Amino acid sequence: MKRTLASLSVIAVLLGAVVLLEVRLGKITREDPLGRELLYLPSPEMLKIMSLGNPGLIADVLYLWSIQYYSYYQPHERFLYLDTVYNLITDLDPLYVDAYRIGALIMQIQTGGDEEELEAAVRRLFDKGLRNLPDNWQLAEAAAWDFFIRFKDRETALHYAEIATQRPGAPPRIKRMVGVWRDKESAWTLDDSIEYWRRAVEDAENEWDHVLCMNQFYDAVTARDRKTLEPLLDVFAARYGVCPESWEDLIRAGALGRVPLDAYGDPYGIGIEDCRLVAYKKFKDQ
Amino acid sequence: MRAVRAIAANTFREAIRDRILYLFIGFAVVMVVSSKLFGMLTVGDETKIIKDIGLAAMLFFSMLIAVMMSMILISREVDSRTVFNILAKPVRRWHFVLGKYLGLVSIVAANLALITFVLMLMVLVVAGELDLMLLFAGAMTMLEMLVLAAFATLFAVLTRPILGSLMTLAVFVVGHMSADLWLLTRQLPGALTRTVIAVVYYLLPNLERFNFRTEVVHDLAIPGAAVGWAVLYAFTLVVVVLFLANLRFRGKDLK
Amino acid sequence: MTDIQLSVRDLQKTFHPGLFEASVEVLKGLSFEVARGEIFGFLGPNGAGKTTTIKAITEIIYPDAGEITVCGLPHTSLEAKRRIGFMSESPYIYRHLTGREYLWFSGELLGLDRSGLADRISGVLDQVGMSGPADRTMGTYSKGMLQRVALGQALLGEPELLILDEPMSGLDPVGRRNVRDIILTQAAAGVTVFFSTHIIPDVEMICDRVAIIVDGRVRAIGAVSELVSDEPTSYEATFVGAVPSDLRTPLEAHHVASGASWVRVATENHDSLIQELGDRGAKVVSLDPVRTTLEDLLMRHYEETGS
Repeated sequence: MKRTLASLSVIAVLLGAVVLLEVRLGKITREDPLGRELLYLPSPEMLKIMSLGNPGLIADVLYLWSIQYYSYYQPHERFLYLDTVYNLITDLDPLYVDAYRIGALIMQIQTGGDEEELEAAVRRLFDKGLRNLPDNWQLAEAAAWDFFIRFKDRETALHYAEIATQRPGAPPRIKRMVGVWRDKESAWTLDDSIEYWRRAVEDAENEWDHVLCMNQFYDAVTARDRKTLEPLLDVFAARYGVCPESWEDLIRAGALGRVPLDAYGDPYGIGIEDCRLVAYKKFKDQ
Repeated sequence: MRAVRAIAANTFREAIRDRILYLFIGFAVVMVVSSKLFGMLTVGDETKIIKDIGLAAMLFFSMLIAVMMSMILISREVDSRTVFNILAKPVRRWHFVLGKYLGLVSIVAANLALITFVLMLMVLVVAGELDLMLLFAGAMTMLEMLVLAAFATLFAVLTRPILGSLMTLAVFVVGHMSADLWLLTRQLPGALTRTVIAVVYYLLPNLERFNFRTEVVHDLAIPGAAVGWAVLYAFTLVVVVLFLANLRFRGKDLK
Repeated sequence: MTDIQLSVRDLQKTFHPGLFEASVEVLKGLSFEVARGEIFGFLGPNGAGKTTTIKAITEIIYPDAGEITVCGLPHTSLEAKRRIGFMSESPYIYRHLTGREYLWFSGELLGLDRSGLADRISGVLDQVGMSGPADRTMGTYSKGMLQRVALGQALLGEPELLILDEPMSGLDPVGRRNVRDIILTQAAAGVTVFFSTHIIPDVEMICDRVAIIVDGRVRAIGAVSELVSDEPTSYEATFVGAVPSDLRTPLEAHHVASGASWVRVATENHDSLIQELGDRGAKVVSLDPVRTTLEDLLMRHYEETGS
């Protein structure tokens, strides 16, 4: 019994040493300018063969990896490699909706690099998805919205919105959006966005759709609130020479009636350094 | 036929009491349940990931059990003297082959049923849906395992335990790769090369014929003809392979 | 009802191990017959072909030539197999089955009537002295217990012919006595017993007839008493008061230890030795006749074939 305990203690100590060494190694930065790992990705045909009848699983694994990897690193010029990765994933599982939708999203948050190339890459991914999923209107709606908001490309946005309306099950709100966008004279306002996504949240068919629509709704509401609240912060800062520390300061100063709440019903924050509104957006229901 | 039933039941009983089986089952269940963890890592549809992992676990662990248990239940008995006391009785050699095969198949089926149940439970808990297509996926995997178990039986009477297991594993790998490899090699020059490859392709079992996992995960329509012919294909393969096994075993001097 | 329960005629078998290994001719034309009710011993050194012969009889291997009949039927027929009770050398362990379950399995294979099978099994377990541990898994059994269960499954079908391959190997004296007793009981009930062994005393004690097999052929066959003579071939004497080197009588062997001497003389010199010891005033402690044993016979055949 004593000997067993002694052996176990030795093993525990050694394991601890192993963990510490690994932590130490993790602190050493290694040069990885081109994301070399990606160069070793096998072709989709090879991966399909190696999967022994489970290409969908390999697609899942790559997808999970891509999310972890790209959420860890700072956005760089990496969108070109994202292009490769998401192409690979969608070659292995052409019906993987999330890979198109979230892949495009992740690509879009990359900054730096050629904007035109990025837009082309995103477009390619959406087109591939729409080709492989002819009955999916949600993907077309997402494409329309991404091009409208992120790339400010109304024409392309309209193109995708029109595709969405032609797909089975498309809700009436998309048709309304198409109507407004087609009319080059009328402007699509923030309130239109808010109303649009509020309806989408109500009509969401499943939990995941609900989350995505809620996100868009949150962004739209935040954009509107920013427009009304940030001027109040500027006025306060100008008057008192310092950014308000909390909304109570503004309420006491008579500028606000009550603490402003975001789309989730939680209070906004105030960023002291730049005196801007801080929105605590939750990507998933936590 | 009583002898066949007795041998099958005995094989099943022996296997179900072997601890190594529970190791595999344990791993399979852990894999299915831990799919929830991977589901939590994803951005998007959790259920797809759970189903993909669960179906893969179904396939790989059934395959591992078929490979390992054939070594323990059949190879070892043929290779050692244990089989003597059976064959000295009024039992024909084909009784032994068929009985062992059925025993092996029943063990794989029991394991597969358990994994399918756990997977369906997971999906029910996570997504709130009772997906009966998972039962269909389980059935198709079982069909594939019927074929693989037949090969395992053949190799068990043909050669030594470890070699037999490796050959069964090879059949599994090749069975899933053969269709893709054949497509790739169609580009190769030389009619003779292509003919040889075509002959090899058609003679080897194409296990992808039993793969409906994509349809199950993405809720697509399943062509009845594909299923019907696949069932026929499976049973024909099983009969052919067991015939071969019996042919070999019939004339074999057992040492 | 035939009188010959087992007939083997001119059995030949060569094994071909592989491409790069030489073929091995194990059985070179083996013939013998076993009559109903006999206890027949199949005696020979390791590698003589005893197990190969038994495997051929039970159709575990296929002979190249020769004829085998069991209870008057071709040995390949299912009916012939139904009448045999077979026990192999070093019985297998189904580690996770109990002894009782194993016997049930054997009963199923024999096609025995299920309604009386449980009682039969209990009876057989009693017979082999395994009633106690019958419900423990065989992985917990000692070698002796496994042998007994194996013997049990051989007895289960009430066979006309018992074929036992080295039934007493690896057993302690108590175990061997048990097996011998069972064989004698079975023979008394009219069962023919055919068993192979390389342990000579076992044969000498219970066999009616024995076949000596060396190098793939039967070298001698008959009753034990026929094969070995009753006449002493030599005499051994132990005495004090004289030393072997002084004796004139021709000695086959001699030895001195602790003041006593031991010598061996041929039968014809028996009288002259006694005379001489008397003349010298030596005191004879013991005088024993030495007879040809089965072992001598076996060794002789062994040497003759140059094995």
